Amino acid sequence: MRPETLKGHLDGMLLAALEPAPRHGYAIMEVLRDGSGGQFDLPTGTVYPALHRLERAGLIKAAWSEAGGRRRRVYQLTPAGRRALDAERGTWRDFSAAVTALLEPAPRPVTS
Amino acid sequence: MTRATAGMAPPGPASRHLVDSYLAEVTAGLPGSARARASVVDELRAGLLDAIDAYRSAGLTAEQAAQAAVSEFGDPGQVAGAFRPGLAVSQARRVAVTLVATGPLIGLLWGAAALASHLGIRHAPPWQWAGAPPGSLVAFPLAAAALAVTVWAALFAVAVTGHLTRWLAFGARLAPAAAAIAGFGAMTVDLIIFVLLAGRLVAAPGTLAPAPVAVAAAASLIRLTLARRAGRRCLAARAALT
Repeated sequence: MRPETLKGHLDGMLLAALEPAPRHGYAIMEVLRDGSGGQFDLPTGTVYPALHRLERAGLIKAAWSEAGGRRRRVYQLTPAGRRALDAERGTWRDFSAAVTALLEPAPRPVTS
Repeated sequence: MTRATAGMAPPGPASRHLVDSYLAEVTAGLPGSARARASVVDELRAGLLDAIDAYRSAGLTAEQAAQAAVSEFGDPGQVAGAFRPGLAVSQARRVAVTLVATGPLIGLLWGAAALASHLGIRHAPPWQWAGAPPGSLVAFPLAAAALAVTVWAALFAVAVTGHLTRWLAFGARLAPAAAAIAGFGAMTVDLIIFVLLAGRLVAAPGTLAPAPVAVAAAASLIRLTLARRAGRRCLAARAALT
């Protein structure tokens, strides 16, 4: 999948990757890659600036933590981030339902 | 790919060199404080080492793993470009907040210097001010205008770099410009003060309290130098945004 296809949805997916538990940058990248079956394979280096942007927006917060002799920045959702993720989910459900309804050739149950 | 396991053998010199030169390419020309850039480097380095671990668990040699990690992270120029707006905004905010915080202090120092000269040296009562210094008819309005521009530009930069501005497309170009205007404005205020001071020193050298004036002048000189540098850096950071 081309990176441009991903662009508008990256924020929501980064937030979703942090929903179950706080993670560091590379683990977030692995969630995106593995969770999408390898479809989302954007340059790992660009995930970090996106995380910093979300942090400045107050949707996630970061703290340095040390594990296995390696200092990492670990990110977690803020309450505002949880709300943004819920909103993103709602928007995506409506959008994908509408696109599916229009693009699918035969009428059939909408899956999201 | 399997999850990176902690405690792998440390990467050899060849892979360390690959990681270091990649990081150097990313951070060359990044805006922001040394601390902000060091934080970016530390975070990316940890990520690269995680990636190397992952590739090594998948069976690659140390050097192949480093090569794969570096290419997975992507073009250094693209990564740097993605960091740039955020760092430029943080830098603009820091400059503006510093100017707002230190401005009143410098004002107080000059006020104290004027008062000390008036009361301590000229022994004039507080309500009886001497005539205006030479050139003040031009200098005072100019300084007031420069001060007003500085304060508003700095406050504007602080406002557009708050948490509410999630969409950086708005603040990323505006904030560095406003912070640069504030920096050059503060510099102009200091320059005008120095011109007034020089006029006073020539016209009536004995009427100034040496110590308070020297302290205020030193503070202004430091601020002038730093504000000029900060203004130039903000402009450079803004110019580097694509």
